[in-house]
Amino acid sequence: MMRKSPMKQESRQTISGVDFKEYFQPESIQKALEIRAEYGDQIEVAAGSTDLLVANYEKLHEIKYWLDLVKLDQLKKIEVIDNELHIGAMVTHLQLMKSDLIKKNLAVLAAAAEDVGSPQIRSRGTIGGNICTSSPAGDLLAPLLSYGASFKLQSTEGERIVKAEEFFTGPKRNSMETDELLTEIIIPLTDNKREGSWIKVGRRKALVISTLTLAVVLEFEGEKIVKAGIAMGSVAPTPVRLKGIEAVMVDQKLTDLDYKALGREVKASINPIDDLRGTKEYREDVAVDVMVRALKEIERKVSS
Amino acid sequence: MAKLDVELKVNGEDYKLQVGSQERLLDTIREQLKLTGTKEGCSVGECGACTVIVDDQAVNSCMVLTAQVDGSKIITVEGLESKSGLHPLQKAFIEKQAVQCGFCTPGMLMSALALLNTNPEPSKEEIKTALEGNLCRCTGYQQIIDAVEMAAEEWGG
Ligand SMILES: Cc1cc2nc3c(=O)[nH]c(=O)nc-3n(C[C@H](O)[C@H](O)[C@H](O)COP(=O)(O)OP(=O)(O)OC[C@H]3O[C@@H](n4cnc5c(N)ncnc54)[C@H](O)[C@@H]3O)c2cc1C
Ligand code: FES
Ligand code: FES
Repeated sequence: MMRKSPMKQESRQTISGVDFKEYFQPESIQKALEIRAEYGDQIEVAAGSTDLLVANYEKLHEIKYWLDLVKLDQLKKIEVIDNELHIGAMVTHLQLMKSDLIKKNLAVLAAAAEDVGSPQIRSRGTIGGNICTSSPAGDLLAPLLSYGASFKLQSTEGERIVKAEEFFTGPKRNSMETDELLTEIIIPLTDNKREGSWIKVGRRKALVISTLTLAVVLEFEGEKIVKAGIAMGSVAPTPVRLKGIEAVMVDQKLTDLDYKALGREVKASINPIDDLRGTKEYREDVAVDVMVRALKEIERKVSS
Repeated sequence: MAKLDVELKVNGEDYKLQVGSQERLLDTIREQLKLTGTKEGCSVGECGACTVIVDDQAVNSCMVLTAQVDGSKIITVEGLESKSGLHPLQKAFIEKQAVQCGFCTPGMLMSALALLNTNPEPSKEEIKTALEGNLCRCTGYQQIIDAVEMAAEEWGG
């Protein structure tokens, strides 16, 4: 039996940041930035809140001020502007994995989004939240590094564009200031053929914060690799881009590369964290393995 | 503490509610609306017992503040049953003995409903993926997957 609400009314009244000091739900970026500037680190910025509510479980009541970004529809778009893909910070994992633009141009990012948590987490969790949490295990981070993404940070003072690899400064640390919001993720498009591979090694598919991730993105002119983006997650305090290995691959054909040797390079250039989710040695071995797997997968895709 | 005005459509009924700014959707559903079919297990997004449907998608109601879903359409397990009786999913869960202690069942039903609403003919793999965020400590999942398959057949056919 359906329960009838005693409070049923006709008129629509929305949440008002004016009346309720502790909860702001602005409808424009400008307004959000003003609130952010006024409250700084006193205010919790909430996107999908999947990280926030776990981190603050049992102390939710201690949060005095909320800045909820949910009504910022401008940040929920995925668009192409001047041969760059602009992804709004409030785009969810579900949106990423379903978007034709993303699947076509950034298949590795789409695949990573599909591997996040569970359907329930993917429908709420956002790319902006994944980036701002800055966990070394954040699944979208290695793909973003591989694609050479930049982040647009805005404040009432203006905006700045920060390269992904400069944004992450430590576990759960980044270079965002307390008066800034992440508004967009910007990724250059290319006319070259792009092929890539995403590998997530975890103990169980759903709900596992990954023990190791690898994102490889190669750009080809004919058979020649003209650009390589290789990044890993969960192997160091921040997601890392393996520039040394990228350099070795550029100007080569896939068939000229020694995959195993590259795998050993991977092992040498990472600094795995030893924690409950997998020991250091385990991760080093896996790193070699996944590199070989990724390159074989790209080889298959290129030749088909 | 000041309260926020929120409007929700829950199981087809319009509600105007006042919620605290830290009130989770789970709290609103269970405590204000007294719809206690939705369960609280882990409270941190891992078990799926609290799953409800928000604007056509399965969501952990422990992972979202009610204020964040202002204006949304919500379906809880109580919304499955209609005047014409049990929902095909409910019938299939009974038929396939997919319910043992029953704690995970409301969440499983909601994840399954979200799936069938967008994909009426799911493959076994798609069913497994849809239920990835729902833990069951009793059944070993097979009966649940069978039940969703059966419901899909009956519903579609
Ligand atoms: C059960 C479970 C499983 C999970 N599995 C995975 C997984 O497999 N892989 C994975 O990568 N993650 C996983 N996560 C973590 C989380 O879901 C993701 O990191 C998600 O993308 C976070 O996004 P959100 O919108 O929910 O962030 P929120 O919780 O809303 O925000 C996270 C942080 O970022 C800040 N923030 C958010 N948006 C902005 C912005 N635009 N500007 C400034 N600051 C901002 C917030 O203040 C907060 O500090 C899991 C979480 C749970 C609970
Ligand atoms: S109680 Fe919400 S996922 Fe476990
Ligand atoms: S039936 Fe007991 S947890 Fe699923």
